[in-house]
Parts: sequence; C-alpha cells; structure tokens
Amino acid sequence: MIRAILKAPGTIFALIVIAVLVGTMIVAPIVLNKDATGLNFSATSEGPNAMHWLGTDALGRDLLARLLVATRLSLGLAFLATLISAVLGLLLGGGVALLPARIRPIGLRFIDTLIAFPALIVAIFVGAIIGAGGKGATIGVGVAGSFYIARVMSALVLSSASRDYILAARILGVRRMRLLLRNILPNVADVLVIVVALGIANSIVFLAAMSFLGLGVQSPQFDWGQLLTEGVQQFYQAPLSALAPAIAIAISALAFGFAGEAVAKSLNPQLWTAMRSIKGPGAMLGTRASKILSQRIPTPSDEKEPALEVSNLSVQIPNKPSPIDIVTDISFVVAQGEMLGVVGESGSGKTTVANAISQLLPYPAKMNGTVKISGRDISTLTKDEFNQLLGTNVATVFQDPMSSLNPALRLDIQLTERAEVHQHIGRRQAREMAIANLKEVNLPAAEGQMRRYPHELSGGMRQRVMMAMGLMTRPALLIADEPTTALDVTIQAQIMDVLKEINQQHKMAIVLISHNLDLVGQNCDRILVMYAGRIVEELSREALSQPLHPYTQALLGALPDISESPDQPLVSIGGQVPDISNRPSGCAFHPRCPMAVERCTTEVPPLLPRRGGAVACWVANKDADNESA
Amino acid sequence: MALVATVLGLVVVTFSMVRLIPGNPVLAVAGLTSTRAERIALTKEMGLNHPYFVQFGHYVNNLLHWNLGTSFADGQPVSQQISQEIGSSLVLAGVSLALVLIVAIPLGLVVAALTQEGRHPRIDMIFTGATSLFGSIPQFLLATFLAFIFAIWLKILPVAGFSPPVSSIILPAVSIALAPVAILSRLVRIETLNVLTQDYIRTARGKRLPTRIIYLRHVLPNVLTAALTLGGVIFAYIIAGAVIIENVFNRPGLGTGLIGAVQQNNYPVIQGIILVLGLIVVAVNVVVDLAVGFLDPRSLNRPNSGAAR
Repeated sequence: MIRAILKAPGTIFALIVIAVLVGTMIVAPIVLNKDATGLNFSATSEGPNAMHWLGTDALGRDLLARLLVATRLSLGLAFLATLISAVLGLLLGGGVALLPARIRPIGLRFIDTLIAFPALIVAIFVGAIIGAGGKGATIGVGVAGSFYIARVMSALVLSSASRDYILAARILGVRRMRLLLRNILPNVADVLVIVVALGIANSIVFLAAMSFLGLGVQSPQFDWGQLLTEGVQQFYQAPLSALAPAIAIAISALAFGFAGEAVAKSLNPQLWTAMRSIKGPGAMLGTRASKILSQRIPTPSDEKEPALEVSNLSVQIPNKPSPIDIVTDISFVVAQGEMLGVVGESGSGKTTVANAISQLLPYPAKMNGTVKISGRDISTLTKDEFNQLLGTNVATVFQDPMSSLNPALRLDIQLTERAEVHQHIGRRQAREMAIANLKEVNLPAAEGQMRRYPHELSGGMRQRVMMAMGLMTRPALLIADEPTTALDVTIQAQIMDVLKEINQQHKMAIVLISHNLDLVGQNCDRILVMYAGRIVEELSREALSQPLHPYTQALLGALPDISESPDQPLVSIGGQVPDISNRPSGCAFHPRCPMAVERCTTEVPPLLPRRGGAVACWVANKDADNESA
Repeated sequence: MALVATVLGLVVVTFSMVRLIPGNPVLAVAGLTSTRAERIALTKEMGLNHPYFVQFGHYVNNLLHWNLGTSFADGQPVSQQISQEIGSSLVLAGVSLALVLIVAIPLGLVVAALTQEGRHPRIDMIFTGATSLFGSIPQFLLATFLAFIFAIWLKILPVAGFSPPVSSIILPAVSIALAPVAILSRLVRIETLNVLTQDYIRTARGKRLPTRIIYLRHVLPNVLTAALTLGGVIFAYIIAGAVIIENVFNRPGLGTGLIGAVQQNNYPVIQGIILVLGLIVVAVNVVVDLAVGFLDPRSLNRPNSGAAR
C-alpha cells in the first residue's frame, strides 16, 4: 500500500514539503527566536535586502525569521485543532452509528444538519463563546471540523458494523464503547488517516482565517494568519510582507491536502485504475491476421438495394505496440424486409458490429471497411447527409431497456424528437405518430403513457417504447441488440412477437443480435455465427439443424433439450472464449475444437460458400473439396 | 418536521451562547475593571437574574416579535443593525452565487465534452490542476493575491469599500466565487462524464440529434440534479466566504458586523447575526431540496424522501 501511495504523482513532493514544515516547526523557534522577536529600531520597515530577505516590520523584526518561527504555532495549533476534530468526530459519529436502529436516523439527520452550516461561521461562533485568542480559535476550528469527521465515521461504522464479526461481537454482549474502540476503529483506521490529513489542511486554513479576522492568536504571539494581517496593512508599501505568509499558508495546506488525497487514491484503486485504463490495456496482440481473400457472400436474389451492406468491416482499438482487433474482415448483406440473426458468445464482437453499423463505436475504436445503408456508402456522405441518413434510416433497440431511456425526460419528448429533428414534423403530428406507434407495439393506454417518465414503466413496457421510438421515422433497418436478454421469459416472447410484426408489417429489415441460438433460429431467415471477431458460418434457418462449422455444432449441442431426461447433465462447450487481446493464431476456435488439424493452428480459414450459406473451417471445407471432387 | 427541529435547534444554540461562556458572562462583557454596581445592572439588562427557562421564554418571545435585543456597543436594536447590513451581504452573496452558476456549469460541461473517453489529455490535466489549486486556496488568501494583482499591481480595480458600486464588487465576488467554481465545475465534469457513458445517451446519439440537443436536453438535466445536491454546500461556502471577504475588502455587511461584534464581546449582535445566517442556510437548503424534487422526477416517487423533510 505504501508503495502505491508513493507512486501517485506529486506525493513525494508533498511529503518532502511536510517534512520541511515539521523540521522548521521544531528548529526555527530555537534558532531564530531573537531575530523574530527582538526589536531593532535602526532597521524598521525595510524592504527586502541581503540582510533581511523579506524585509523587516515596523518594529525592525526580520519578517523571514518571523515567518519561519510562526510555523510552530500555526502548525501546532492546526494539529491540536485536528486532534479535537478527530476525537469529537469519532465520538459523535461512532456514537450515532451505534445508537439503537430506531433513533439512529434522527442522529444521522442531526449530523447532516450540522454539516450544512458553514464551518468557518461555526468556528467563529464557538470562538466567540470561548473568547478571541489562540485557545478560542483552536477549539472553534476543532469543533467546526468535527462534524465532517463525524459524518464520515458514522457512515464507515455503519457499513462495517453490519459485517459478521461485529455482529458476532454484539451477540456476545460486548458493550458499545468497547465495540467502537476494539473492533471497529482498527478497521476504519486507514480512512481516518485520510480524514485527518485533510483535516489538518483545513485547520491550517481556518486558523489562519481566524487570526486574519482578529479572532485567533493575539499579539505578542504570532502565527501566519497574524503575519498576514500585519502584512495586509502595509500592502501598498511592502506587498511581500503579506504575500509571503499567504504563500506559506497555501503551500502547507496544499501539501497536507495532497498527501491526504494521494492516500485516498491508493486506498480506492478501482476508481484510479478505471480512470487510467482508458489509456489502453497492456496486453499485446497475438493474432497476425494474414490477409485473406475478400469474403463476398452472394446477395440474396432481390433486385432492390439491400437495406444494409457491410463489406470488409474491421474494428480496432489503437494500442501499443499493435492495435487490438475486435472485429476482423466482416461482410454481409441484409435485404429489405429480411430478418437476419447474428449469434455468438459474449466477446465474439457481435455488439461491436452493431455499433459499427449505427456508427456508435466507443472512442477510441476505429472502423475500416464499407457500410452501405439503403445503398448509400456512409463514408461518402457529408456530416449533414450522414446524420440525416442514420437518423431516419437506422434505429437501434438496446439490451437494457431500464437504462436506455433518459430518466429525466418524459416519454413524449424522447419519442418525438427524432421525427422533429430529421423530418421537420410538427410536435402535434409527431405526437400522433408516437401514439400510433405505441399502440402498434401493444403498449397499454398508449396516450396516457406519453406524459410519463421512464421509471414509471416496467422493463417490458420500456422495451416496447424503445421499439415504438425505432418505428418513428420508418427506418429501413432496425438493429436489435439482445433486445430480450434483460427481460423475463414471458415478456421475451411478447417482445419477439412485436419485432416480427414490425418486420412483416413495415417490411423493415431487422438485425437481431443474440447469444441465444434457439431464439435466433426461431425468428430469423438467415443466421450469422460469430466467433472471436469473425464470421465463422452463415446459414439459412433450414440449414441450422445441420451446421458445418464445429463451433455452430457445439452451440447447437449446448442447447438444453426438453425432450431429454432432466437427469442428463447440460452440455457446455469446453474451454473459454479467447481474450480479446490474446486471440489464438490460425482459426481462433482451434484450442476448443475437437476436429482441429495442424493447419488450423497457423492459417485463418477463409469463409467459403457452401450449401447456400458459407463456412470458415479448414476441416469442413476440405470435406467439401472431396465432395465436389 | 426536521425543518422545525433545525430552526428550534438554531434558536437554542444561539440562546445558549451567552450561557456557555466560561466563567462569568457578565464579567466577560463588562470587563475586569467594571464596578459591582455596573455588573448588577448588566446582569439585569441581560436578563440573567431570571431562571433559565424563563430566560429562554423571553428570548423566543422576543424573536417572534423580531426583537433581537440591543447592541452593547451603541444601544441600538440588533434587528436594526442587521437590516442595515444584510442588504449588501445578500447582494455580494447573490452576485457570487450567480457567478458560480454561470461559470461552473458550462465550464464543467464543456471540459467533460472535450475530455470524454480520454480525449484531450492535456486539457484534462490543466483543468484538474487548476481546479484543485483554486479549490483548495482559501478565499481570503485568494482575495489577498487578487487584490495585489488587480488593485495594487495593475491598479484597475478598487481594493476596498463600496464605490464605485459595480467595479468594487468584482474583486470580492470573484474571491468568493473562485473556490466554489472550482469545486462545482469538477463535480459537473465528473457527473457529465458519467452521464455521457449512460445507455440513454447512446440512444440519443443513435437518433443523430444535433450536439446542442444532446447536451442541453439529454445531458444537462441529469447533471443538474447531481450538481444541485451540492447546492447547499456551495451556498454555505459562499456565505462563509462573504463573511470573511467583507472583512478583507472592508465592506460593511453582516460579516464585518459579526467580526466587529466578536472582537467587542457584543453578544446580542453575535447572537442575532449567527441566527440570521443560520436561517439563511436553512432556507437555501429547503429551496435546494424543492428544486431537486422538481428537476428529478424519480425523487418524488422515492419512498421516504417526502417524509424526511
């Protein structure tokens, strides 16, 4: 842990500053006391010079010496105030957390209320009661700082108090105070370190503020806040006399604050790594995909422009030393009104294909290849044409309806905006269309739903809303990315029925993406099977019962069969989906494939037409050669 | 319910203040050189000769009639002093708050838009560095630095007092606002980055809406609810800032009044100003809660949120 703390940028610097401050605190008053307090009327109010680097004050005292000597009082009182905060905060927060559950909320609410009041004003108030001066300021700042610590402590104690060992101790009848000191405190000690470091930073600032307001340390004692006050009075003549203590306060507060944050970061590494991981995973790429011949699949016999045509689509994430391929060299066509299924395990790249088609790839993924929507190559369009085409011709239904609708907006806006923006349809007409669409997807009480918020609807209802939203501009293509995965089984069937109806009623092409071979087999005309970023097999619904690729066979074999005896163990595919950054060479399926031969480990099999479909497998295509021979 | 308890607590605390003074409060007020007769008179004047509960009853009764006692310094009613001072403090706090909102929310949004998904790492670094610096420099130090730069070095802004009214408020308001701007804009940025990764933003992007509509219609309301929950804290920061900054720039107001009173042990004035500041904080928190409820439709349906207030 300590190493992690030191690694955070700037931490070492902060620690050095703190060490210097503590050193000054101890040494300076011993060495420099005479310069700092001895009056010297022969050198009053001097500017900065070789003898006095910061100059002297009205009584001829060296300002630098005073600044350094003041370190002891400034920091000492700050430590003391923080100690008061910590003790009070622990007692208050821990005490509230250990209250009986019935009255605990009142206690928590009380702490919340205390925090709402500005800390400085609390400090001034307490200081005023005790009397202006070092004692009043320290206790005032200490009390003011304790509320925050109490809040943190109560939250921590509550979360750790529900853990098993604490419950066990309670059952054993350990008393509350003892429980707090013996069992809970050690477990929250690390967080306490952070809170205290930040508390010191705050105390330094607040104490300086109190002195600055004339409520802190009184003359002849002096701390940074007081030096600042004296300096400000002669700001015009000698700005440095005010700036120097100001800088001292700022630097020391920053150092303690920074150290506290660094500890916090190293204690909560998930957040930190999450922030860093964007810069790219360290793993490098194993696959050196050999360039294979372009995989063109014959267009279905339809004279009209296909709704979607994807050729040689690849998606990469830039990475050093070599980019990571998520999807490699994919080509397929979706005819108008066709329902195409894309099947694969998670990590196979099927969602990336969907995102590439709708141009919603997450940064920094890069796409290569051509995507034609209704016959228009999207790479040749201007930005406006592109938005117009995608906005009206492609709709997407996502996996999780709970999160796909904006929680802050009423459904009517979310339903109508697409038609309003892209087709310049007036709001009233768009509303009517939206209501008609809601009815079409069988949402009960369609009109009444328009003014509701997403959270007022169930998951199935929201997915219907998503589909109604997709229908708004009558797009040529609807991409449904696992549209039923997040729903329960009875709702799944209903949603699939609605999708099929949309497909037939409006001749809308649908790309149905799913991990569920059964679902796709029941609903789609044609099926693409993806594995490790490539299409490994393309087949018609009829051919699904006898797939050629060993992977498709394995998927089919893994489907639970109700006709089998329930005692039969479920079949699963051996091995795992390869890691995206470390895919096997050759055919990516070869480590799990029962039929793999030597060639599979080195060369990527091309996707070759077979029996009205296509398959990418050395073994299956070798059989084909034999058949045709 | 909790609101009533908070206000009542505030009244009890301010009432108890004089009673909490260590030693003899009369002595603390009158000073060590006072005569016995003076002290007896003062005890009567402060009402300390009555039992505790009677004193509290008097105090509450007086409060209800907006009678906050008389100032020790000049014998004027405290309520009169407060009503003279509160105007300029509210103007200062209001200008600062407006500054915070106008700067922090767009700044956070824009920086989030620029740095999302790890883009523009340099802007990210500058923003994070600047905000953590300005967020942690105390307001009175900032005021000192700003006064040095703009009033003394560049000589373009007045350093103290009220005149001229517009330019004299710039330095104080900026000094108060900078730290909350830093804190709030960081929060807005983090919240925006968070919102931008949400599925519903992908839905909105899929609709190919103009960037303006995506940010203003789909992102902003979701960010604002989160930002607003910090509103109470930000306002508390501004109030505390106003108290201290008034003293730095020597602007008569509640802050200067409070500090002056503390230095003179002028307890009725301290009590009155603390009570008023406390009530302002409570009122702002109530407004913030209402605003959150208005902006976030979910909070209305959330169980207990209505009962807790």
